[in-house]
Amino acid sequence: MIFKIDNVKKSYKNGEVTEEILKGVNLILREGELTSLVGASGSGKSTLLTIAAGLQPASDGQITFEGKNLTSLNAEQVRKIRAHQFGFVFQFAHLVPFLTVEEQLLLMLDVSESKLKKREQKKEVDKILKLVEMDHRKHAYPSSLSGGEKQRVAIARAIIHKPKVLFADEPTASLDSKRSKDVMTLISNLTKTLNIATLIVTHDEEMLSFADHIIKMSDGQILRKV
Amino acid sequence: MNIAWKEMKKSKAKFMILGSIVFLVSLLTFMISGLANGLSQESAGLIKDLPAGQFYMTKEANQTYSMSRIDHSIQHQILSKQKDATAFSIQMGFLNDRDGKQQSVAFVTATKSKQFINVEKGEIVLDKSMEDNGIKIGDALTNNQFKGKFVVKGFVKHSKYSHASVAYISMEDFKEIYGTAEMQLIFVPEGSPEPTSSSMESFSNHQFLNTISSYKSEQMSLNMIIWFLVVISGMLFAIFFYMMNVQKIGLYGILKAIGVKTSSLFKIMWTQMVFITVIALSIAIFLSQIFTRVAPKGMPFSLTTETTVQLSIVFLIIGFIGATLSGLQIKSVQPLQAIQQGEV
Repeated sequence: MIFKIDNVKKSYKNGEVTEEILKGVNLILREGELTSLVGASGSGKSTLLTIAAGLQPASDGQITFEGKNLTSLNAEQVRKIRAHQFGFVFQFAHLVPFLTVEEQLLLMLDVSESKLKKREQKKEVDKILKLVEMDHRKHAYPSSLSGGEKQRVAIARAIIHKPKVLFADEPTASLDSKRSKDVMTLISNLTKTLNIATLIVTHDEEMLSFADHIIKMSDGQILRKV
Repeated sequence: MNIAWKEMKKSKAKFMILGSIVFLVSLLTFMISGLANGLSQESAGLIKDLPAGQFYMTKEANQTYSMSRIDHSIQHQILSKQKDATAFSIQMGFLNDRDGKQQSVAFVTATKSKQFINVEKGEIVLDKSMEDNGIKIGDALTNNQFKGKFVVKGFVKHSKYSHASVAYISMEDFKEIYGTAEMQLIFVPEGSPEPTSSSMESFSNHQFLNTISSYKSEQMSLNMIIWFLVVISGMLFAIFFYMMNVQKIGLYGILKAIGVKTSSLFKIMWTQMVFITVIALSIAIFLSQIFTRVAPKGMPFSLTTETTVQLSIVFLIIGFIGATLSGLQIKSVQPLQAIQQGEV
């Protein structure tokens, strides 16, 4: 067990009314395993992922990563964990428009304060780009890449610093069926080969075949774990 | 990795537009500052070129030196105690050249001193600009209130007062023209013991310049233009960076999400601001210095290195403040907001 979500609650005040988005969710992520969060729109799956990733605070509950309670850390400590230990893939690739593919990955190594020397960093970038089959486009800017290519680069950026947990929020939502399968195959393979604990939010049932665990959410609660 | 540089390289047009505006505003500020300084030299160069010290006039003059009449006994008492002190008077008047053409001048007479040109009776020393007007050494000039003739003995550089050339004459000749032997002012250079007299009021160089109403109002208007331009340039920075930051909110959010520090995002913005300002200022300084050398002879333009450096530092500070204020929104960017916003 590397990551544990324990009775996490999230509520928002909407005027006089308090809306409960998460009603005490429990979840465990393990290294080398891909966990899929599924559920209808508004079920709270994306909120759970962003809380787990330290992108927004929980109203209640505890999130433990490698024995550290993330909910008790300050913003800078959470940022450091995000930069060093977590990887992110979003619905859109969200690449930096003025950096080439290679530079996107070098930036991530900078952010994660990589100890590698410049030449070694470039070698690492080449290795990861080969892994996601994007080595032939390393000098390209995002504007010249297709949707699938951009998402591959986003995945490469998410894993270049060897994170322990990978968070992916609808990573295939903006892709067609074939590209979606390619991306999911890639994430699934990387989870195994790099021994990452991966949490994916998806609404695409076809993608569930790639998951080791499927967690169905409804109305802010976990309905079923498979 | 130098993201700031990478962005500027990729978005050249955007940064060139900002740079060219900063260049134009700073060039305009340098030019106006040069003109302000040039005009101030024309207006009070005679006083400005004196060393630091104290000016004395009678209290009765009510801070208007032309109304001051220093009693002989007080003048004698002060000058005998302070060897470096000088009593002097300034009066606007006219000189007629060989062809009978009238030229406006500021007549100045002074007791013997290092600070002022001393001439003998019937002699006159003029500002260099009069030589450019065709007057030569040895020429005899006249004045309607003066029976004799002034023989031009020489010329001095940059000696102007109230936009007129200074004409140094002897005390006897000054008395004949203006009918008074009493001096208006006493100047005591810094370091000399200050005289004490209940009937006299003292002024520093700066304070004395401000008693000259034409100088004060002229400089106030020009300085207002200069500072207005400086503030405008700060606002330009704030607006431009605000617009650029608004466009990049999504990008900032994503960078924050992957772990980039907020301070690193500020550093990107500051690097770009400093880079643009330094380039724009360098070109503006270069062109304004060229103008200093090629400006028409009669144009009152004086842009010193000191003024240029001071204004450049002010530009950098104001640009920094403008960019930082607009950048405060970076601090409030939420990664989540950017992720939900869609592709950057």
